[in-house]
Amino acid sequence: MSKDINKNNLNKKLAPLIEFFNEFKKDKTGVVGLCILVLAIFVSLFEPLILTYKEAPKRWRDITYWQDNPASAPPEWLNFFSREKSAITTDIKPISVETNYIDSQAVYKAVFEYDYKFDKSPVDLIFHANVDNSSALVWNVTRPDGEVITLSDSLHNIKGDLRISAFNDSKNRIFRFYRESVPRMLARQIDTLTTNPMKILFNTKKDDMAKNFLALKGIYKFEVTANFSDANSSFENPYMVLVGSMSGIMGTDNMKRDIFSGLISGLKWALFIGIATSFISVIIGVMYGIVSAYFGGFVDSFMQFVYQIFIGIPVLPVMIVMSAIFKPTIWTMISMMIFFSWTGSVMTVRSMAMQLKEETYIEAARTIGASHFRIIFNHLAPLLLPFSFASMALAVPSAIVYESSLSLLGLGDATIVTWGQILHDAMKGSAVLSGLWWWIIPPGILIAILGMSFAFLGFALDKILHPKLKSR
Amino acid sequence: MFTYFVIKRILKGIIMFVILMFMSSAIFNTVSEKTLKAQIEENINAEVRGLSNMRTEDVENFIKERRAYYYDIYWLNRSIGERIFIRAINTITFQFGKSTIMMDSNGNRDVIKIIGEALPRSIILFTTASIIQMIIGLIIGLVKARKAGGLFDRTTSIITMIVYGMPTWWLSMILIMIFVYKFNLFPSGGVHSIPTPEGIMYYLDMLWHMALPMLTLTSIGFWGLSFVVRNIVLSTLQEDYIMAARARGISEKSVLLGHTLRSSAPPIVTITLLGLLGSIAGSIIFEGIFSWPGLGNLYWISVQQNDIPVLMGNLAITTALYQFGLVVLDISYGFLDPRIKVGGKM
Repeated sequence: MSKDINKNNLNKKLAPLIEFFNEFKKDKTGVVGLCILVLAIFVSLFEPLILTYKEAPKRWRDITYWQDNPASAPPEWLNFFSREKSAITTDIKPISVETNYIDSQAVYKAVFEYDYKFDKSPVDLIFHANVDNSSALVWNVTRPDGEVITLSDSLHNIKGDLRISAFNDSKNRIFRFYRESVPRMLARQIDTLTTNPMKILFNTKKDDMAKNFLALKGIYKFEVTANFSDANSSFENPYMVLVGSMSGIMGTDNMKRDIFSGLISGLKWALFIGIATSFISVIIGVMYGIVSAYFGGFVDSFMQFVYQIFIGIPVLPVMIVMSAIFKPTIWTMISMMIFFSWTGSVMTVRSMAMQLKEETYIEAARTIGASHFRIIFNHLAPLLLPFSFASMALAVPSAIVYESSLSLLGLGDATIVTWGQILHDAMKGSAVLSGLWWWIIPPGILIAILGMSFAFLGFALDKILHPKLKSR
Repeated sequence: MFTYFVIKRILKGIIMFVILMFMSSAIFNTVSEKTLKAQIEENINAEVRGLSNMRTEDVENFIKERRAYYYDIYWLNRSIGERIFIRAINTITFQFGKSTIMMDSNGNRDVIKIIGEALPRSIILFTTASIIQMIIGLIIGLVKARKAGGLFDRTTSIITMIVYGMPTWWLSMILIMIFVYKFNLFPSGGVHSIPTPEGIMYYLDMLWHMALPMLTLTSIGFWGLSFVVRNIVLSTLQEDYIMAARARGISEKSVLLGHTLRSSAPPIVTITLLGLLGSIAGSIIFEGIFSWPGLGNLYWISVQQNDIPVLMGNLAITTALYQFGLVVLDISYGFLDPRIKVGGKM
């Protein structure tokens, strides 16, 4: 029996909510907004699964983390539209790693294979391994045409990450290969300062190979042999990176960072900043309006005076001056935004509360002896808060834009990645001038889309809560 | 009654300005003193370098003497309350002193001159843009209200919402990339070409420089206004006297333009003026991107160069302008809406 009653009660309580949702469903733009919002929340929840560079949020400003990427490379899907295919950045895993111990010496041998199918030359070829102890390392490549080039042959004494870049470290060896493969007359023509060694390494063998590039497609075999003098050495996790001239879903910036990873890790901050700021500031504004209207008299005029002061402050300049001086973290930035933007909903709530407090049941509550606290929180706030949902949603975009405006000026929190900071870096890296559109358009579009979805939501809520404006 | 209201409102605006300046003076006092002290030490060092044939004790004494002298000039030897008070009074009377780094085009370091040079440029750009925005917004808003719920109304409303969260400065970056660097149609920034042309070309050159910022501002700005105009006009259209006017057979056009618009004017004017005020204060990044040498660009540069006097002076002027705008707003509101004139209570 009691269960039924409970269920009935629950249904009764949920009824207005269901009705509200049914009403909401009729507004198509509102539904679109809600969908985008839910999608955004999912993306930021499953961020580690989506990120192409897992440590991007933590090591966004760590240059070494990004060193294997090409700089200012366009997104790789552009290949789809161009006739000549550019190389795409790929990791190459070894097909076999052998370990031999000969006379207290350790010999490790890793073999890689890569099928090169692109029309343009790559930017770099990088070998990586985690080593401990000193070793003599030889890195050979067998080209599809059978030529063998030793890319690197040197002693290393490193504990940790060993990185050999063919572009930097194998220049001379590659040029030697060139001189040996063309007639003696042409061998001197090469300009070792301006010629890109990658354009020789991946070029078809012909007389004018220094000038004209015709990609030699096929399987390249790489062989790395590491000779350690000590058996107590280690050679772990060898891999190679073919650095293409296109990279990632959204390209890279001039610091070689993957923009897609930056955008994804910026999403949660945009959501958090927007929602936290608007939620708290609207709650404060609503409570301020209610208290001001409820007590009236001296309290009301004092609170109105404070309110007047706050709306007289030009917010953005003051925030910029304050952040320029105090170099805030994201938390102080959010508090600052709340501090300046709670004023938005005060006046409407105040006028609504003025009417409500004259209702008989409030008077009745007061005569019974209910405390002011109880009346405000139990009787006034629950009636007035729903009306502020729309303004909450509508306040989110401006909070996001404010944060990105501050970040654009370089006043953001440097320990996190936000869209505004990506745009700031784009401004500083003169992306506008060099037309690196993949660095400017996506962050702005994301700001706009997130703002748009909240606007859709806000206007839909507004229509339901203030039905007068629906139509004539 | 109206004069009383106006005087009261102006006094209130002045009091607000004074309070705000006291607050910012208290906040920024320590910072401006830090830069000031660094500047004084630099001056003293320069003076010491000019000296010769002095013993170390003498040099130390000299430094102490000079420091005391400068501290006395800049009131650094007074109590903190006194300093805040003096700085606030200086700011309120528009005595901002000299900048630490920046100069105006004549090499002048007075903050007031630097700001005086930038202010008109900001006003030219933003007022023109606001006027254009207002006209377009009003027309579109009226058309929307006339056929509320129709195709035009719905599509423009959706565009309004799409534009709602779009940062203006981002659009300007895109437009600069397209129109300046791709098609070479407009200059990338500034008010004038170098060398500055003379005669009629001077103004044409300025217009050419203004075109892109104006295009950006107006292409985003009018959407919100048209949405608000639509809602205000729509709620006026539901009033009984409009119904009566329609019943009397007055044409739809004169109902809309004569009856409705007249009584919808006060809130529309408010919103337009508030938008104008907001654009002057919030133009910092926009002007920075177009390197339009107005007030906003001044903020941008002074933030980057850490020039506190210019920053403070700029803040004071912006606050003053903002308060002035709010006063004008209230007064014009009272002027447009007779009910407020009589009531007097705001």
